[in-house]
Amino acid sequence: MAVRESVRPEAGRLVDMAWDPITRIVGNLGIYTKIDFDNREVVSCKSTSSLFRGYSVFMKGKDPRDAHFITSRICGICGDNHAVCSCYAQQMAYGVKPPPLGEWIVNLGEAAEYIFDHIIFQDNLVFVDFCEQMVRETNPSLLERAEKTEARHADLHGYRTIADIMRSYNPFTGETYKEALLMSRIGREMICLMEGRHVHPSTIYPGGVGTVATPTLFTDYLSRLLRCLDFIKKAVAMNDDVFDFFYEALPGYEEVGRRRILLGCWGAFNNPEHCTYEYRTMDDWGNEMFVTPGVVVDGELLTTNLVDINLGIRILLGSSYYEDWVNEETFVAQDPLGNPVDKRHPWNQTTIPKPQKRDLEGGNYSWVMSPRWYDKRTEQHLALDTGGGALARLWVTALANKVKTPYVQATGQSVLINLPKTPNTAEQTLEWKVPQWSNAIERDRARIYFVAYSAAMALHFLDQGLAEVRAGRTKVFEDFDVPDEAIGCGFHEAVRGVLSHHLVIRDGKIANYHPYPPTPWNGSPTDSFGTPGPYEDAVMGQPIFEENDQDSFRGIDIMRAVRSFDPCLPCGVHMYLGKGKTLRTVHSPMFGEHGQG
Amino acid sequence: MPRIKLGKPQVSPDLPAHTPGINQGNAKGNYAKMAGHNPDGTSTALRSTGINPKAHDPIDPSMPNLSPG
Repeated sequence: MAVRESVRPEAGRLVDMAWDPITRIVGNLGIYTKIDFDNREVVSCKSTSSLFRGYSVFMKGKDPRDAHFITSRICGICGDNHAVCSCYAQQMAYGVKPPPLGEWIVNLGEAAEYIFDHIIFQDNLVFVDFCEQMVRETNPSLLERAEKTEARHADLHGYRTIADIMRSYNPFTGETYKEALLMSRIGREMICLMEGRHVHPSTIYPGGVGTVATPTLFTDYLSRLLRCLDFIKKAVAMNDDVFDFFYEALPGYEEVGRRRILLGCWGAFNNPEHCTYEYRTMDDWGNEMFVTPGVVVDGELLTTNLVDINLGIRILLGSSYYEDWVNEETFVAQDPLGNPVDKRHPWNQTTIPKPQKRDLEGGNYSWVMSPRWYDKRTEQHLALDTGGGALARLWVTALANKVKTPYVQATGQSVLINLPKTPNTAEQTLEWKVPQWSNAIERDRARIYFVAYSAAMALHFLDQGLAEVRAGRTKVFEDFDVPDEAIGCGFHEAVRGVLSHHLVIRDGKIANYHPYPPTPWNGSPTDSFGTPGPYEDAVMGQPIFEENDQDSFRGIDIMRAVRSFDPCLPCGVHMYLGKGKTLRTVHSPMFGEHGQG
Repeated sequence: MPRIKLGKPQVSPDLPAHTPGINQGNAKGNYAKMAGHNPDGTSTALRSTGINPKAHDPIDPSMPNLSPG
């Protein structure tokens, strides 16, 4: 476990470099580094967030049936992941299991979300860092080499050289960039078919869905999926070519964004044949998920048991703007199996914000708390990351060797993804192999493979959903009563990684509610044990390959490392308006404006 | 609860969505009351229309009954 070290005395020309905010998706993440330009290395890194939102504060006292509608607003891109996760937690609390068709529809909606969100992030945001324009500005000699390097999979994607692929990634002008925008639109249409609306679903409820399942619904979804598959097959080949080129052309590039293999995945796509939403049997049905939940430490799969995963979650402070809650109420002393629940577990957390000045030198510097996973074997609080979501999902699923469907099979060391013939491309079998490192390139590579995984899984869910419809079983929701006292937890995968919602109901109202999305895990600051968060850990000590000198330094390698985690801080902290900001109530007439033209 | 200074609220605190004593759409037993939804999870054209629904059911009983919703 890396522990924060003070700057080495022998360090050379140390320069403070800060990127605040880090743009593309997130507007409130700041990365503060000290860079040793003599040794071309990042010596220290701190990840900060300047946004507080307070979901866990204002959820108290609300009707629990509203939870998924409210928490969906946590994020403007993966809100449906929150809604679904909240429904999972509510279903546990209410003791209700949706009919199979309802579950397949949720899975289809979520598969489309992974396809849409990963594509827009990878091709329209990540690849800006790998495009021809950017490489020309930061590593001109690398671009020269790319112009001369033949692409291995040119027959699949049609680009002769690596530089040709990089040109297609150029923002606003590149072919891949533009095509990806279209694909992400189609992905969103697929989500809307199943979940009514995107980003905030209107037909997802606890107990099932409000989507009317007809054959047309599924064929509309399938026709869009097949168009995406043509793009996905090409994209995987292009990604492999570019990432392999970076390893070959820049020896040592595997160190960029590399950290110890500490990965967490909370599982996705429940299997209605097994899933009951009962806490007592959570281990059984969790292992039947179509993305296996688990924790991987140093390449070893520690557990796939959702109960172990749940009880191991600890929310630490150390560098965050909050007061400790040790003297506050304990909501859940024991889980339904009789296991003790820690005071630092989300079920028992009380959020007490304490705004203060940012102090990067040994003080508090972030609104993000420090979620950790307690490893019983070593008694360490592990700073798990999600590998941008896709890396942990594929890694855990591969090692667990449990997922066996006609389109996706885990093998123990890899995941096989079978993609059928589509209008413009032949049948293809992809194999994602467990990589040697948990680094920036492998996080980015896993992303496009997980798009293929989701697309293949969606084909399976379509088969299952259509089988229900053909049998005439059209029921998509189950009725339920809200108990006066109950607890629930939902485990899911947001697009960029682990997502959990913990719920406590008293007097039929929410007494405590804590959503833990992936970015608090990835973007957490140094905790009370001195353990840095994953962004900090990954960037600290990484070499610098950029050819620019200090005056024109862009920090491209640091940006590639941080963006490989798919940073999305709006969901990282749960609005604080600083001094001087005035809120005004403005009346905007809806009618009358058009008549004046 | 948070011990931070808060401004004067511009709106009154919202009430929980549910008022005790009012029926809940999700309550147990409501599925059985809905026309056209059968206890075995299948449905008939009655769930889509109340006007001569039987004329919209499949002509062959072995066919799945898939009303437009």
